[in-house]
Amino acid sequence: MGSRNLWISLFVIVWVAVFHYETLRLNYLSPLAGRELPKLKFLYPPAGWIMFFNVDRSYGSAEVYGVREGKPTLIDPHAIFSTRCVGYDNIRRNVLISVLSGNAAPQFCRYVARKFPQYEAFAVAYVTYPDLVDRPGEKLYQLAYRCP
Amino acid sequence: MDYGQACEEMRFRDWWYQAFLIERPSVSLSLFRLAVAVTVGCHMIPSFLQLEDNYLSTAFKEHNGSFFPLWALQLVAQSPDWLVRLFVALFLASWACFFLGFKSQASCLVMTASCYYFYALNALHIGTLSFDILLVTLSLIWVSGYPGDACSVESLIRAEPKPYARLRPFFIQRLLQLQIVWTFFYTALSKTTAGGNWLTDNPYYYLMRYPAEGVVRQFPFRALLAQHPGACYAIGIGVLVCEFALPFLLFIRRTRWIGLAYGLTFHVLLLTTLHVPTIFFFLFPPQLLLFVDPERIVEWIETRRARHASKGRAVLLYDGACGFCLGSVKRLMAVDYFGAVEPVDFHGVHDLAQLHPALTPARCQGRMQLIEPSGRLSEGFLAFRRMALMIPLLWPLVPACYLPGAGWIGQRVYDWIAARRHLFHSTRLCQTNQCRLPPTEASSSSKA
Repeated sequence: MGSRNLWISLFVIVWVAVFHYETLRLNYLSPLAGRELPKLKFLYPPAGWIMFFNVDRSYGSAEVYGVREGKPTLIDPHAIFSTRCVGYDNIRRNVLISVLSGNAAPQFCRYVARKFPQYEAFAVAYVTYPDLVDRPGEKLYQLAYRCP
Repeated sequence: MDYGQACEEMRFRDWWYQAFLIERPSVSLSLFRLAVAVTVGCHMIPSFLQLEDNYLSTAFKEHNGSFFPLWALQLVAQSPDWLVRLFVALFLASWACFFLGFKSQASCLVMTASCYYFYALNALHIGTLSFDILLVTLSLIWVSGYPGDACSVESLIRAEPKPYARLRPFFIQRLLQLQIVWTFFYTALSKTTAGGNWLTDNPYYYLMRYPAEGVVRQFPFRALLAQHPGACYAIGIGVLVCEFALPFLLFIRRTRWIGLAYGLTFHVLLLTTLHVPTIFFFLFPPQLLLFVDPERIVEWIETRRARHASKGRAVLLYDGACGFCLGSVKRLMAVDYFGAVEPVDFHGVHDLAQLHPALTPARCQGRMQLIEPSGRLSEGFLAFRRMALMIPLLWPLVPACYLPGAGWIGQRVYDWIAARRHLFHSTRLCQTNQCRLPPTEASSSSKA
Protein backbone atom coordinates (compact mmCIF):
# COMPACT_ATOMS: atom_id res chain seq x y z
CA MET A 1 0.00 0.00 0.00
CA GLY A 2 2.84 2.37 0.92
CA SER A 3 4.66 1.89 -2.35
CA ARG A 4 1.40 2.15 -4.31
CA ASN A 5 0.63 5.47 -2.65
CA LEU A 6 4.14 6.66 -3.38
CA TRP A 7 3.79 5.85 -7.09
CA ILE A 8 0.38 7.47 -7.27
CA SER A 9 1.70 10.59 -5.52
CA LEU A 10 4.64 10.83 -7.92
CA PHE A 11 2.35 10.40 -10.90
CA VAL A 12 -0.02 13.10 -9.64
CA ILE A 13 2.82 15.56 -9.05
CA VAL A 14 4.41 14.97 -12.46
CA TRP A 15 1.05 15.12 -14.27
CA VAL A 16 0.03 18.37 -12.56
CA ALA A 17 3.44 19.94 -13.18
CA VAL A 18 3.47 19.01 -16.87
CA PHE A 19 -0.15 20.14 -17.32
CA HIS A 20 0.59 23.59 -15.93
CA TYR A 21 3.93 23.87 -17.69
CA GLU A 22 2.40 23.15 -21.09
CA THR A 23 -0.59 25.38 -20.42
CA LEU A 24 1.52 28.37 -19.43
CA ARG A 25 4.67 27.70 -21.48
CA LEU A 26 4.14 29.75 -24.63
CA ASN A 27 2.28 32.81 -23.40
CA TYR A 28 3.53 33.19 -19.83
CA LEU A 29 6.64 31.15 -19.00
CA SER A 30 8.59 31.76 -22.22
CA PRO A 31 8.26 35.58 -22.00
CA LEU A 32 9.30 35.31 -18.36
CA ALA A 33 12.35 33.22 -19.25
CA GLY A 34 13.19 35.46 -22.20
CA ARG A 35 13.42 32.51 -24.61
CA GLU A 36 11.11 29.90 -26.02
CA LEU A 37 10.97 27.03 -23.56
CA PRO A 38 10.91 23.50 -24.99
CA LYS A 39 7.57 21.88 -25.72
CA LEU A 40 6.68 18.37 -24.67
CA LYS A 41 5.81 16.59 -27.90
CA PHE A 42 2.90 14.15 -28.28
CA LEU A 43 0.75 15.79 -25.62
CA TYR A 44 -0.90 19.18 -25.13
CA PRO A 45 -1.56 21.88 -27.72
CA PRO A 46 1.30 24.26 -28.60
CA ALA A 47 -0.22 27.42 -27.08
CA GLY A 48 -2.29 26.13 -24.18
CA TRP A 49 -6.06 26.37 -23.99
CA ILE A 50 -6.81 29.28 -26.32
CA MET A 51 -10.28 28.48 -27.66
CA PHE A 52 -11.68 31.62 -29.36
CA PHE A 53 -9.27 33.66 -27.23
CA ASN A 54 -8.87 36.42 -29.81
CA VAL A 55 -11.57 37.18 -32.36
CA ASP A 56 -11.20 40.33 -34.43
CA ARG A 57 -13.52 42.16 -36.79
CA SER A 58 -12.16 40.52 -39.95
CA TYR A 59 -12.79 37.07 -41.34
CA GLY A 60 -10.90 35.04 -43.93
CA SER A 61 -11.57 31.83 -45.78
CA ALA A 62 -10.80 30.04 -49.03
CA GLU A 63 -12.81 29.46 -52.17
CA VAL A 64 -12.01 26.91 -54.84
CA TYR A 65 -13.09 27.32 -58.45
CA GLY A 66 -13.20 24.68 -61.14
CA VAL A 67 -12.47 25.94 -64.65
CA ARG A 68 -14.11 24.38 -67.70
CA GLU A 69 -13.85 25.84 -71.18
CA GLY A 70 -12.30 28.93 -69.62
CA LYS A 71 -15.30 29.51 -67.34
CA PRO A 72 -14.76 29.37 -63.55
CA THR A 73 -17.40 27.77 -61.30
CA LEU A 74 -17.35 27.95 -57.50
CA ILE A 75 -17.09 24.42 -56.07
CA ASP A 76 -19.18 23.65 -52.99
CA PRO A 77 -16.65 23.24 -50.14
CA HIS A 78 -18.73 20.36 -48.76
CA ALA A 79 -18.04 18.52 -52.00
CA ILE A 80 -14.29 19.17 -51.68
CA PHE A 81 -14.05 17.80 -48.15
CA SER A 82 -17.05 15.54 -47.92
CA THR A 83 -16.33 14.04 -44.50
CA ARG A 84 -19.40 14.61 -42.34
CA CYS A 85 -18.66 15.13 -38.66
CA VAL A 86 -21.14 14.17 -35.96
CA GLY A 87 -23.00 17.20 -34.66
CA TYR A 88 -21.03 19.96 -36.37
CA ASP A 89 -19.84 21.16 -39.74
CA ASN A 90 -16.09 21.17 -40.22
CA ILE A 91 -16.37 23.35 -43.33
CA ARG A 92 -17.97 26.03 -41.17
CA ARG A 93 -15.04 25.66 -38.80
CA ASN A 94 -13.04 26.89 -41.80
CA VAL A 95 -11.17 23.67 -42.48
CA LEU A 96 -10.78 24.77 -46.13
CA ILE A 97 -8.39 27.55 -45.12
CA SER A 98 -5.66 24.90 -44.82
CA VAL A 99 -5.45 24.69 -48.61
CA LEU A 100 -4.24 28.30 -48.89
CA SER A 101 -0.70 27.66 -47.76
CA GLY A 102 1.79 27.61 -50.62
CA ASN A 103 3.19 24.26 -49.44
CA ALA A 104 -0.24 22.74 -49.75
CA ALA A 105 -0.68 23.72 -53.41
CA PRO A 106 0.82 20.68 -55.22
CA GLN A 107 -0.94 18.26 -52.91
CA PHE A 108 -4.28 20.05 -53.12
CA CYS A 109 -4.06 20.32 -56.92
CA ARG A 110 -3.63 16.54 -57.17
CA TYR A 111 -6.52 16.10 -54.75
CA VAL A 112 -9.04 18.28 -56.61
CA ALA A 113 -7.96 16.90 -59.99
CA ARG A 114 -8.88 13.42 -58.72
CA LYS A 115 -12.12 14.54 -57.06
CA PHE A 116 -13.39 16.70 -59.91
CA PRO A 117 -12.20 15.26 -63.22
CA GLN A 118 -14.88 17.26 -65.04
CA TYR A 119 -12.79 20.43 -64.67
CA GLU A 120 -9.72 21.27 -66.76
CA ALA A 121 -8.12 23.56 -64.19
CA PHE A 122 -8.67 25.01 -60.73
CA ALA A 123 -8.13 28.31 -58.95
CA VAL A 124 -7.83 28.78 -55.22
CA ALA A 125 -8.72 32.21 -53.84
CA TYR A 126 -8.19 33.82 -50.47
CA VAL A 127 -11.39 35.57 -49.48
CA THR A 128 -11.48 38.20 -46.76
CA TYR A 129 -14.14 40.24 -45.06
CA PRO A 130 -11.87 43.12 -43.89
CA ASP A 131 -14.35 44.68 -41.45
CA LEU A 132 -17.45 42.80 -40.33
CA VAL A 133 -18.75 45.80 -38.37
CA ASP A 134 -18.22 48.89 -40.52
CA ARG A 135 -18.15 47.27 -43.98
CA PRO A 136 -20.05 44.00 -43.54
CA GLY A 137 -20.85 43.54 -47.24
CA GLU A 138 -17.29 44.03 -48.45
CA LYS A 139 -15.62 40.84 -49.62
CA LEU A 140 -12.11 40.88 -51.12
CA TYR A 141 -10.66 38.19 -53.35
CA GLN A 142 -7.02 37.38 -53.90
CA LEU A 143 -5.81 34.53 -56.06
CA ALA A 144 -3.70 32.16 -53.98
CA TYR A 145 -2.65 29.75 -56.76
CA ARG A 146 -3.84 27.93 -59.87
CA CYS A 147 -3.84 24.25 -60.77
CA PRO A 148 -2.16 23.21 -62.92
CA MET B 1 10.38 19.56 14.19
CA ASP B 2 8.11 21.28 16.70
CA TYR B 3 4.54 20.29 17.50
CA GLY B 4 2.97 22.92 15.23
CA GLN B 5 5.01 21.80 12.25
CA ALA B 6 4.14 18.18 12.91
CA CYS B 7 0.43 19.09 12.99
CA GLU B 8 0.77 20.98 9.72
CA GLU B 9 2.46 18.02 8.10
CA MET B 10 -0.21 15.68 9.41
CA ARG B 11 -2.89 17.95 8.04
CA PHE B 12 -1.21 18.08 4.64
CA ARG B 13 -0.76 14.30 4.53
CA ASP B 14 -4.42 13.86 5.41
CA TRP B 15 -5.49 16.36 2.75
CA TRP B 16 -3.32 14.63 0.12
CA TYR B 17 -4.69 11.25 1.12
CA GLN B 18 -8.31 12.47 0.88
CA ALA B 19 -7.65 14.21 -2.43
CA PHE B 20 -5.85 11.47 -4.34
CA LEU B 21 -5.08 8.28 -2.46
CA ILE B 22 -8.32 7.40 -0.71
CA GLU B 23 -10.22 4.45 -2.13
CA ARG B 24 -13.67 5.34 -3.41
CA PRO B 25 -16.14 3.56 -5.73
CA SER B 26 -14.95 3.52 -9.32
CA VAL B 27 -18.45 3.55 -10.81
CA SER B 28 -18.12 7.15 -12.07
CA LEU B 29 -15.00 6.24 -14.03
CA SER B 30 -16.78 3.26 -15.54
CA LEU B 31 -19.61 5.48 -16.73
CA PHE B 32 -17.08 8.02 -17.95
CA ARG B 33 -15.42 5.25 -19.99
CA LEU B 34 -18.64 4.95 -21.99
CA ALA B 35 -18.67 8.73 -22.61
CA VAL B 36 -15.03 8.66 -23.73
CA ALA B 37 -15.70 5.72 -26.05
CA VAL B 38 -18.71 7.47 -27.62
CA THR B 39 -16.66 10.66 -28.05
CA VAL B 40 -13.71 8.92 -29.67
CA GLY B 41 -16.02 6.92 -31.92
CA CYS B 42 -18.03 9.95 -33.03
CA HIS B 43 -14.89 11.96 -33.66
CA MET B 44 -12.81 9.36 -35.49
CA ILE B 45 -15.14 6.98 -37.29
CA PRO B 46 -16.69 9.51 -39.73
CA SER B 47 -13.20 10.30 -41.01
CA PHE B 48 -12.76 6.61 -41.93
CA LEU B 49 -15.79 6.69 -44.22
CA GLN B 50 -13.72 8.61 -46.79
CA LEU B 51 -10.39 6.87 -46.51
CA GLU B 52 -9.33 7.95 -50.00
CA ASP B 53 -9.93 11.61 -49.16
CA ASN B 54 -8.52 11.53 -45.65
CA TYR B 55 -5.80 8.99 -45.10
CA LEU B 56 -4.69 7.05 -48.19
CA SER B 57 -2.00 8.22 -50.59
CA THR B 58 -4.67 10.13 -52.56
CA ALA B 59 -5.69 12.28 -49.56
CA PHE B 60 -5.09 15.95 -48.93
CA LYS B 61 -3.16 16.00 -45.68
CA GLU B 62 -2.24 18.54 -43.04
CA HIS B 63 0.45 17.87 -40.46
CA ASN B 64 0.59 19.20 -36.93
CA GLY B 65 4.28 19.96 -36.59
CA SER B 66 3.98 21.59 -33.20
CA PHE B 67 2.36 18.54 -31.65
CA PHE B 68 4.48 15.82 -33.27
CA PRO B 69 8.24 15.74 -33.73
CA LEU B 70 9.34 15.73 -37.36
CA TRP B 71 10.63 12.16 -37.23
CA ALA B 72 7.22 10.89 -36.16
CA LEU B 73 5.46 12.74 -38.97
CA GLN B 74 7.97 11.47 -41.51
CA LEU B 75 7.67 7.91 -40.24
CA VAL B 76 3.87 7.92 -40.38
CA ALA B 77 3.86 9.67 -43.77
CA GLN B 78 5.61 6.64 -45.27
CA SER B 79 2.60 4.44 -44.46
CA PRO B 80 1.46 2.37 -47.42
CA ASP B 81 -2.30 2.18 -47.91
CA TRP B 82 -2.53 -1.36 -46.51
CA LEU B 83 -1.04 -0.14 -43.23
CA VAL B 84 -3.63 2.62 -43.03
CA ARG B 85 -6.39 0.05 -43.52
CA LEU B 86 -4.79 -2.16 -40.88
CA PHE B 87 -4.82 0.74 -38.41
CA VAL B 88 -8.48 1.39 -39.20
CA ALA B 89 -9.23 -2.24 -38.31
CA LEU B 90 -7.06 -1.96 -35.20
CA PHE B 91 -8.82 1.20 -34.15
CA LEU B 92 -12.29 -0.24 -34.67
CA ALA B 93 -11.48 -3.45 -32.79
CA SER B 94 -9.86 -1.65 -29.85
CA TRP B 95 -12.63 0.95 -29.78
CA ALA B 96 -15.32 -1.75 -29.63
CA CYS B 97 -13.42 -3.55 -26.83
CA PHE B 98 -12.98 -0.31 -24.92
CA PHE B 99 -16.65 0.59 -25.31
CA LEU B 100 -17.73 -2.83 -24.09
CA GLY B 101 -15.16 -2.77 -21.29
CA PHE B 102 -13.25 -5.83 -22.45
CA LYS B 103 -9.55 -5.64 -21.59
CA SER B 104 -10.30 -1.96 -21.13
CA GLN B 105 -6.78 -0.86 -20.21
CA ALA B 106 -5.10 -2.62 -23.13
CA SER B 107 -7.85 -1.66 -25.56
CA CYS B 108 -7.63 1.96 -24.44
CA LEU B 109 -3.88 1.91 -25.05
CA VAL B 110 -4.27 0.49 -28.58
CA MET B 111 -7.15 2.85 -29.35
CA THR B 112 -5.14 5.85 -28.16
CA ALA B 113 -2.12 4.75 -30.19
CA SER B 114 -4.37 4.46 -33.27
CA CYS B 115 -5.73 7.96 -32.62
CA TYR B 116 -2.14 9.25 -32.53
CA TYR B 117 -1.36 7.44 -35.75
CA PHE B 118 -4.27 9.02 -37.63
CA TYR B 119 -3.58 12.41 -36.07
CA ALA B 120 0.02 12.24 -37.31
CA LEU B 121 -1.11 10.96 -40.71
CA ASN B 122 -3.60 13.75 -41.30
CA ALA B 123 -4.67 16.35 -38.76
CA LEU B 124 -7.04 18.11 -41.17
CA HIS B 125 -10.37 16.74 -40.00
CA ILE B 126 -9.67 15.36 -36.55
CA GLY B 127 -7.07 17.79 -35.22
CA THR B 128 -8.62 20.46 -33.05
CA LEU B 129 -7.74 21.94 -29.69
CA SER B 130 -10.46 19.83 -28.11
CA PHE B 131 -8.94 16.71 -29.71
CA ASP B 132 -5.72 17.55 -27.87
CA ILE B 133 -7.76 17.64 -24.66
CA LEU B 134 -9.27 14.29 -25.57
CA LEU B 135 -5.78 12.81 -25.98
CA VAL B 136 -4.80 14.09 -22.53
CA THR B 137 -7.97 12.47 -21.16
CA LEU B 138 -7.22 9.18 -22.91
CA SER B 139 -3.71 9.19 -21.51
CA LEU B 140 -5.19 9.43 -18.02
CA ILE B 141 -7.74 6.71 -18.71
CA TRP B 142 -5.24 4.08 -19.80
CA VAL B 143 -2.98 4.66 -16.81
CA SER B 144 -5.34 2.58 -14.70
CA GLY B 145 -7.73 -0.26 -15.46
CA TYR B 146 -10.40 1.20 -13.18
CA PRO B 147 -12.74 2.40 -15.93
CA GLY B 148 -13.43 -1.26 -16.72
CA ASP B 149 -14.65 -2.07 -13.22
CA ALA B 150 -18.38 -1.73 -13.90
CA CYS B 151 -20.76 -1.64 -16.88
CA SER B 152 -18.24 -3.82 -18.67
CA VAL B 153 -17.62 -7.26 -20.07
CA GLU B 154 -14.75 -7.47 -17.57
CA SER B 155 -17.15 -7.21 -14.66
CA LEU B 156 -19.33 -9.84 -16.30
CA ILE B 157 -16.37 -12.21 -16.57
CA ARG B 158 -15.34 -11.54 -12.97
CA ALA B 159 -18.96 -12.07 -11.91
CA GLU B 160 -18.39 -10.15 -8.70
CA PRO B 161 -21.50 -8.96 -6.91
CA LYS B 162 -21.98 -5.18 -6.90
CA PRO B 163 -19.11 -4.24 -9.23
CA TYR B 164 -20.29 -0.62 -9.12
CA ALA B 165 -19.21 -0.41 -5.47
CA ARG B 166 -15.63 -1.56 -6.12
CA LEU B 167 -13.20 0.68 -4.27
CA ARG B 168 -10.20 2.16 -6.09
CA PRO B 169 -7.71 4.97 -5.47
CA PHE B 170 -9.43 8.22 -6.40
CA PHE B 171 -6.51 9.92 -8.16
CA ILE B 172 -7.62 9.31 -11.76
CA GLN B 173 -11.06 10.78 -11.16
CA ARG B 174 -9.52 13.71 -9.26
CA LEU B 175 -7.07 14.43 -12.08
CA LEU B 176 -9.90 14.35 -14.61
CA GLN B 177 -11.81 16.82 -12.41
CA LEU B 178 -8.77 19.06 -12.23
CA GLN B 179 -8.21 18.81 -15.96
CA ILE B 180 -11.67 20.08 -16.87
CA VAL B 181 -11.72 22.97 -14.40
CA TRP B 182 -8.21 24.06 -15.24
CA THR B 183 -9.09 23.97 -18.93
CA PHE B 184 -12.00 26.31 -18.20
CA PHE B 185 -9.87 28.55 -16.03
CA TYR B 186 -6.96 28.82 -18.45
CA THR B 187 -9.30 29.38 -21.40
CA ALA B 188 -10.66 32.43 -19.57
CA LEU B 189 -7.12 33.50 -18.67
CA SER B 190 -6.07 33.36 -22.35
CA LYS B 191 -9.11 35.43 -23.26
CA THR B 192 -8.14 38.18 -20.86
CA THR B 193 -4.33 38.11 -21.10
CA ALA B 194 -1.69 36.77 -23.49
CA GLY B 195 -3.19 38.37 -26.58
CA GLY B 196 -6.80 37.63 -25.71
CA ASN B 197 -9.22 40.49 -26.42
CA TRP B 198 -12.35 39.63 -24.44
CA LEU B 199 -11.94 42.56 -22.04
CA THR B 200 -10.44 45.13 -24.39
CA ASP B 201 -12.62 44.44 -27.42
CA ASN B 202 -15.94 42.81 -28.28
CA PRO B 203 -15.18 39.36 -29.77
CA TYR B 204 -18.65 37.93 -29.13
CA TYR B 205 -20.11 40.80 -31.19
CA TYR B 206 -17.72 40.02 -34.05
CA LEU B 207 -18.72 36.37 -33.89
CA MET B 208 -22.37 37.35 -34.21
CA ARG B 209 -21.47 39.33 -37.35
CA TYR B 210 -19.50 36.49 -38.96
CA PRO B 211 -20.66 35.58 -42.48
CA ALA B 212 -23.32 32.88 -42.77
CA GLU B 213 -20.68 30.31 -43.80
CA GLY B 214 -18.71 30.93 -40.57
CA VAL B 215 -18.50 29.00 -37.32
CA VAL B 216 -21.57 30.57 -35.67
CA ARG B 217 -24.88 28.72 -36.06
CA GLN B 218 -28.07 30.47 -37.14
CA PHE B 219 -29.76 30.50 -33.73
CA PRO B 220 -32.93 32.54 -32.99
CA PHE B 221 -31.42 35.68 -31.40
CA ARG B 222 -28.29 35.92 -33.52
CA ALA B 223 -29.55 38.68 -35.81
CA LEU B 224 -30.73 40.68 -32.79
CA LEU B 225 -27.39 40.27 -30.99
CA ALA B 226 -25.54 41.34 -34.15
CA GLN B 227 -27.25 44.72 -33.75
CA HIS B 228 -26.46 45.13 -30.01
CA PRO B 229 -22.73 45.37 -29.25
CA GLY B 230 -23.42 46.25 -25.60
CA ALA B 231 -25.42 43.07 -25.03
CA CYS B 232 -22.70 41.05 -26.78
CA TYR B 233 -20.00 42.55 -24.55
CA ALA B 234 -22.07 41.66 -21.48
CA ILE B 235 -22.46 38.09 -22.74
CA GLY B 236 -18.70 37.94 -23.31
CA ILE B 237 -18.07 39.03 -19.72
CA GLY B 238 -20.64 36.46 -18.58
CA VAL B 239 -18.70 33.75 -20.41
CA LEU B 240 -15.48 34.87 -18.69
CA VAL B 241 -17.12 34.93 -15.27
CA CYS B 242 -18.50 31.43 -15.86
CA GLU B 243 -15.13 30.05 -16.96
CA PHE B 244 -13.24 31.69 -14.08
CA ALA B 245 -15.84 30.76 -11.47
CA LEU B 246 -16.41 27.12 -12.43
CA PRO B 247 -13.33 25.68 -10.69
CA PHE B 248 -14.37 27.30 -7.40
CA LEU B 249 -18.05 26.46 -7.76
CA LEU B 250 -17.27 22.84 -8.51
CA PHE B 251 -14.67 22.26 -5.81
CA ILE B 252 -16.63 23.90 -3.01
CA ARG B 253 -19.06 21.24 -1.87
CA ARG B 254 -21.88 23.67 -1.07
CA THR B 255 -21.86 25.27 -4.52
CA ARG B 256 -21.14 22.11 -6.51
CA TRP B 257 -24.68 21.66 -7.81
CA ILE B 258 -24.75 25.29 -8.95
CA GLY B 259 -21.41 24.74 -10.70
CA LEU B 260 -22.71 21.63 -12.42
CA ALA B 261 -25.88 23.36 -13.60
CA TYR B 262 -23.83 26.35 -14.71
CA GLY B 263 -21.27 24.22 -16.58
CA LEU B 264 -23.85 22.03 -18.30
CA THR B 265 -25.92 25.06 -19.38
CA PHE B 266 -22.76 26.69 -20.67
CA HIS B 267 -22.08 23.66 -22.86
CA VAL B 268 -25.64 23.49 -24.15
CA LEU B 269 -25.40 27.16 -25.17
CA LEU B 270 -22.02 26.56 -26.76
CA LEU B 271 -23.35 23.66 -28.81
CA THR B 272 -26.48 25.46 -29.92
CA THR B 273 -24.65 28.61 -31.01
CA LEU B 274 -21.32 27.40 -32.42
CA HIS B 275 -20.02 24.60 -34.61
CA VAL B 276 -17.85 23.12 -31.88
CA PRO B 277 -16.53 19.56 -32.21
CA THR B 278 -18.45 16.57 -30.89
CA ILE B 279 -16.01 16.44 -27.99
CA PHE B 280 -17.79 19.42 -26.44
CA PHE B 281 -20.99 17.44 -26.40
CA PHE B 282 -19.95 13.91 -25.43
CA LEU B 283 -16.80 14.46 -23.36
CA PHE B 284 -16.92 17.70 -21.39
CA PRO B 285 -20.41 17.45 -19.86
CA PRO B 286 -19.74 13.88 -18.61
CA GLN B 287 -16.36 15.08 -17.34
CA LEU B 288 -18.17 17.75 -15.34
CA LEU B 289 -20.41 15.02 -13.94
CA LEU B 290 -17.30 13.42 -12.42
CA PHE B 291 -17.84 15.98 -9.66
CA VAL B 292 -20.86 13.98 -8.50
CA ASP B 293 -19.56 11.94 -5.57
CA PRO B 294 -19.34 8.27 -6.56
CA GLU B 295 -20.78 7.38 -3.15
CA ARG B 296 -23.95 9.22 -4.17
CA ILE B 297 -24.23 7.07 -7.28
CA VAL B 298 -23.73 3.90 -5.22
CA GLU B 299 -26.29 5.19 -2.72
CA TRP B 300 -28.76 5.83 -5.54
CA ILE B 301 -28.25 2.30 -6.88
CA GLU B 302 -28.69 0.85 -3.38
CA THR B 303 -31.90 2.84 -2.93
CA ARG B 304 -33.22 1.37 -6.17
CA ARG B 305 -32.27 -2.11 -4.95
CA ALA B 306 -34.07 -1.55 -1.67
CA ARG B 307 -37.13 -0.31 -3.55
CA HIS B 308 -37.14 -3.43 -5.73
CA ALA B 309 -36.76 -5.61 -2.64
CA SER B 310 -39.67 -3.95 -0.86
CA LYS B 311 -41.93 -4.02 -3.94
CA GLY B 312 -41.14 -7.67 -4.59
CA ARG B 313 -38.57 -8.90 -7.03
CA ALA B 314 -38.90 -11.36 -9.86
CA VAL B 315 -37.83 -14.82 -8.73
CA LEU B 316 -35.44 -16.76 -10.95
CA LEU B 317 -35.45 -20.48 -10.28
CA TYR B 318 -32.30 -22.19 -11.46
CA ASP B 319 -30.49 -25.47 -11.05
CA GLY B 320 -28.09 -24.93 -8.16
CA ALA B 321 -26.48 -28.33 -8.71
CA CYS B 322 -25.20 -27.22 -12.08
CA GLY B 323 -21.94 -25.29 -12.06
CA PHE B 324 -22.60 -23.79 -15.47
CA CYS B 325 -25.99 -22.53 -14.27
CA LEU B 326 -24.44 -21.18 -11.05
CA GLY B 327 -21.84 -19.29 -13.05
CA SER B 328 -24.47 -17.89 -15.42
CA VAL B 329 -26.66 -16.76 -12.52
CA LYS B 330 -23.65 -15.14 -10.83
CA ARG B 331 -22.95 -13.21 -14.01
CA LEU B 332 -26.55 -12.22 -14.33
CA MET B 333 -26.48 -10.91 -10.76
CA ALA B 334 -23.30 -8.98 -11.56
CA VAL B 335 -25.19 -6.95 -14.17
CA ASP B 336 -28.42 -6.67 -12.17
CA TYR B 337 -27.39 -3.46 -10.38
CA PHE B 338 -30.89 -2.60 -9.23
CA GLY B 339 -31.66 -6.05 -7.84
CA ALA B 340 -34.68 -6.64 -10.06
CA VAL B 341 -34.23 -10.41 -9.94
CA GLU B 342 -33.81 -12.74 -6.97
CA PRO B 343 -32.10 -16.02 -7.88
CA VAL B 344 -33.32 -19.10 -6.02
CA ASP B 345 -31.96 -22.64 -6.33
CA PHE B 346 -35.05 -24.72 -7.01
CA HIS B 347 -33.49 -27.69 -5.14
CA GLY B 348 -33.95 -25.70 -1.94
CA VAL B 349 -37.65 -25.03 -2.51
CA HIS B 350 -39.85 -27.64 -0.79
CA ASP B 351 -43.08 -26.84 -2.53
CA LEU B 352 -42.60 -25.33 -5.98
CA ALA B 353 -46.34 -25.18 -6.57
CA GLN B 354 -46.56 -22.63 -3.78
CA LEU B 355 -44.49 -20.28 -5.88
CA HIS B 356 -46.52 -20.98 -9.01
CA PRO B 357 -49.04 -23.75 -9.62
CA ALA B 358 -47.49 -24.68 -12.98
CA LEU B 359 -44.04 -25.37 -11.54
CA THR B 360 -42.66 -28.89 -11.17
CA PRO B 361 -39.11 -30.09 -10.39
CA ALA B 362 -38.82 -31.55 -13.90
CA ARG B 363 -39.76 -28.26 -15.46
CA CYS B 364 -37.23 -26.38 -13.33
CA GLN B 365 -34.60 -28.97 -14.18
CA GLY B 366 -35.13 -28.40 -17.90
CA ARG B 367 -35.22 -24.63 -18.07
CA MET B 368 -34.74 -21.71 -15.72
CA GLN B 369 -38.07 -20.31 -14.60
CA LEU B 370 -38.89 -16.67 -13.97
CA ILE B 371 -41.84 -15.68 -11.79
CA GLU B 372 -42.56 -11.96 -11.95
CA PRO B 373 -44.23 -10.07 -9.07
CA SER B 374 -47.41 -10.01 -11.19
CA GLY B 375 -47.39 -13.83 -11.22
CA ARG B 376 -46.37 -14.11 -14.87
CA LEU B 377 -44.29 -17.22 -15.48
CA SER B 378 -41.74 -17.56 -18.27
CA GLU B 379 -38.98 -20.06 -18.87
CA GLY B 380 -35.73 -20.60 -20.73
CA PHE B 381 -34.91 -17.99 -23.35
CA LEU B 382 -38.25 -16.28 -22.82
CA ALA B 383 -37.31 -15.81 -19.14
CA PHE B 384 -33.99 -14.28 -20.21
CA ARG B 385 -35.84 -11.99 -22.58
CA ARG B 386 -38.10 -10.81 -19.76
CA MET B 387 -35.07 -10.22 -17.54
CA ALA B 388 -33.41 -8.21 -20.31
CA LEU B 389 -36.31 -5.80 -20.00
CA MET B 390 -35.91 -5.56 -16.22
CA ILE B 391 -32.11 -5.13 -16.08
CA PRO B 392 -30.89 -1.85 -17.65
CA LEU B 393 -27.45 -3.19 -18.54
CA LEU B 394 -29.15 -5.82 -20.71
CA TRP B 395 -31.29 -3.27 -22.56
CA PRO B 396 -28.94 -3.20 -25.57
CA LEU B 397 -29.87 -6.87 -26.12
CA VAL B 398 -33.63 -6.24 -26.02
CA PRO B 399 -34.09 -5.32 -29.72
CA ALA B 400 -32.30 -8.51 -30.80
CA CYS B 401 -34.29 -10.60 -28.32
CA TYR B 402 -37.59 -9.32 -29.71
CA LEU B 403 -36.78 -9.66 -33.41
CA PRO B 404 -39.39 -11.72 -35.26
CA GLY B 405 -38.54 -15.39 -34.73
CA ALA B 406 -36.01 -14.62 -31.99
CA GLY B 407 -38.21 -16.35 -29.38
CA TRP B 408 -38.43 -19.55 -31.41
CA ILE B 409 -34.72 -19.66 -32.29
CA GLY B 410 -33.65 -18.49 -28.81
CA GLN B 411 -35.66 -21.18 -27.07
CA ARG B 412 -34.19 -23.90 -29.27
CA VAL B 413 -30.63 -22.66 -28.72
CA TYR B 414 -31.36 -22.45 -25.00
CA ASP B 415 -32.66 -26.03 -24.95
CA TRP B 416 -29.67 -27.26 -26.91
CA ILE B 417 -27.32 -25.71 -24.37
CA ALA B 418 -29.46 -26.77 -21.40
CA ALA B 419 -29.46 -30.39 -22.57
CA ARG B 420 -25.67 -30.34 -22.89
CA ARG B 421 -24.84 -28.10 -19.98
CA HIS B 422 -22.64 -30.79 -18.45
CA LEU B 423 -20.35 -30.30 -21.46
CA PHE B 424 -19.73 -26.73 -20.46
CA HIS B 425 -18.43 -27.76 -17.07
CA SER B 426 -14.82 -28.31 -17.88
CA THR B 427 -14.22 -24.89 -16.40
CA ARG B 428 -13.50 -23.75 -12.89
CA LEU B 429 -17.19 -23.06 -12.51
CA CYS B 430 -17.87 -26.73 -11.94
CA GLN B 431 -15.01 -27.95 -9.84
CA THR B 432 -17.29 -30.26 -7.83
CA ASN B 433 -18.42 -32.06 -10.96
CA GLN B 434 -21.97 -32.11 -9.63
CA CYS B 435 -23.16 -30.81 -12.90
CA ARG B 436 -23.68 -33.97 -14.88
CA LEU B 437 -27.35 -34.74 -14.69
CA PRO B 438 -28.60 -38.27 -14.10
CA PRO B 439 -29.64 -39.75 -17.48
CA THR B 440 -33.35 -39.76 -16.64
CA GLU B 441 -33.36 -36.16 -15.56
CA ALA B 442 -31.22 -35.18 -18.51
CA SER B 443 -33.66 -36.71 -20.94
CA SER B 444 -36.60 -35.08 -19.19
CA SER B 445 -34.81 -31.73 -19.29
CA SER B 446 -34.27 -31.95 -23.03
CA LYS B 447 -37.97 -32.57 -23.50
CA ALA B 448 -39.05 -29.85 -21.12
